Amino acid sequence: MNDRMENLLLALPGLLLLVLAFFLPIGQMLVLSVTGPEGPLAPFVRFLSDPYYLGILWRTVRLSLLITLICGAIGFPLAYIMTKVGPRLRLWLVVMVILPLMTSVVVRTFGWMVLLSRSGLIPEMLRDMGLVGRNFALMQTETAIVIGMVQVLLPFMALSILGVLTRIDGRLEEAARTMGCSFLQTIRTVVLPLALPGIVAGSLLCFTLSASAFITPNLLGGTRIQVLAASIYKSVTATPDWPFAAAQAVILFAGIALVLVPYIKMTGARNG
Amino acid sequence: MANVRLTSIQKSFAKTAVLHSISLDIASGEFISLLGASGCGKTTLLRIVAGLESVTAGAVEIDGRDVTGLPPEKRDIAMMFQSYALLPHLSVAENVRFPLRMRGIGNREEQAERVKAALETVQLGHLSERKPRQLSGGQQQRVALARAIVSKPKVLLLDEPLSNLDARLREDMQVELIEIHQRLGLTTIFVTHDQEEALSLSDRIVLLNAGRVEQEGTPAQIYSQPATGFASNFIGSANLLPAEIFEGPDGPVARFADGQALALARTETARGAVTVALRQEDLSLSAEGNGPRAKVRTRVFLGARNRYVMSLAGQPLRALTANDLDFADGQEVSLAIDPARVRIIRD
Repeated sequence: MNDRMENLLLALPGLLLLVLAFFLPIGQMLVLSVTGPEGPLAPFVRFLSDPYYLGILWRTVRLSLLITLICGAIGFPLAYIMTKVGPRLRLWLVVMVILPLMTSVVVRTFGWMVLLSRSGLIPEMLRDMGLVGRNFALMQTETAIVIGMVQVLLPFMALSILGVLTRIDGRLEEAARTMGCSFLQTIRTVVLPLALPGIVAGSLLCFTLSASAFITPNLLGGTRIQVLAASIYKSVTATPDWPFAAAQAVILFAGIALVLVPYIKMTGARNG
Repeated sequence: MANVRLTSIQKSFAKTAVLHSISLDIASGEFISLLGASGCGKTTLLRIVAGLESVTAGAVEIDGRDVTGLPPEKRDIAMMFQSYALLPHLSVAENVRFPLRMRGIGNREEQAERVKAALETVQLGHLSERKPRQLSGGQQQRVALARAIVSKPKVLLLDEPLSNLDARLREDMQVELIEIHQRLGLTTIFVTHDQEEALSLSDRIVLLNAGRVEQEGTPAQIYSQPATGFASNFIGSANLLPAEIFEGPDGPVARFADGQALALARTETARGAVTVALRQEDLSLSAEGNGPRAKVRTRVFLGARNRYVMSLAGQPLRALTANDLDFADGQEVSLAIDPARVRIIRD
């Protein structure tokens, strides 16, 4: 038996699992989406010609981008600070960032529901401070979804960036300072470009996870504000219209893949 | 081009004092070396001039202006790091243009001109489109040098820039540094632990030891008149032997612990317990002679020369000799040295 065969044999269990648990269901879903009773492309036509569903698609993309952007805006400074503080404080910051990951998403989201509900802490406080009107609500708004999702996804962004930042030679920043850069210019011209692979990786994680997120948007956005994942769920459980659900899943899948392509190209060009 | 004045600089990290009140006047256009072993505070002092490190007490003046509280970008300096610190995401030309771009010096064409001139100064004009990681260590070094001189800074700070290079490249770079300094006349502060580098490059050497200035002077002064035991040991790694000076019939004599005596110059005024500093390259050895006798322990062949390690009065003694002198281990040899080249350090 040669090396190739040996390697193949070793990889076999993993490959089998992947095929059975991943490719098979996805393939089935693809098949399902084109074998409905109304004809092969009917569910896609229905989705793409209905403003309601297009709105859901647009909202999913828009919120995912916004969530990714906010995660980056918070995650980058956080990761940068983590690289500059002493090892003890850094450990505590990492623990703080990871801690939310140790409870279930459902529990965390219920926490936000308590905080954001009409009589919850945050709307009450804003009302008391006179910043918002009497009818102000946060629950079942897009804002609530964004807040909840940012908290869920921030660790992925911060840790992705942290990994890259710790490998940047601190002398480079000092050198930039001696060459006339202010602190912020140093961040812009030296740290950001060098941290780009981490930012890209973190953004990919955030975007794909938030585009396919179901629990948090569903609980915080309610039934009125639906995202694609929730719409798929509804198609399966309420109607139940399996071909239509499958078509939506394919669209979600294709949409995410479409966003990934330029990202992968960008990082590929930098590494190559 | 500007002068630099350091006034009683003190620096402590946590509670450990690293620099104890260092004052230094550096003239415009001077090439000065901060020389010392690792941990003596020389790099810290350089970083204080750069503004990368704050002072605990004292003041830094560049060109007559107090810059103690100013961040590095407002000091009009350039620094070359031991690790070169080239920006990996920029090409060679962009790296060299970086200080011009950040300081807003000239328009695009002028910047391109100056980048080209600086790269040609270090003979790297043909590599301007490469990325730093595609260059050898010596080439990266030259890019770093070009980047440091391109903006014609008031002060050029060099932090052990040659220590990562192999011996051959280091010699070339030394020559290049001397020529560039002569051409541009930049006030230069050079940090090194290598005494040869300091001796060959500088107008003036400041010898640092444990956060204090041990001695300061021209290379010739430092080399020929080390003021302290540390200075003579560090520069030229002289042998330091405890001795007592007596008035002999033909002038003063130094007597070592085992009773052997070494004739000193008649002008020597010190008496009593002292340390005698004998430079390795000043000692000559012979099988027969009437100087103090030492026992050979080992010979180290250095190619052009031999180094003999001997013992005299229980102390190790090293001498550099021509490579044709051949003594066996354990053989007794006679030492001779020009009395004028014996340094006496009073205890």
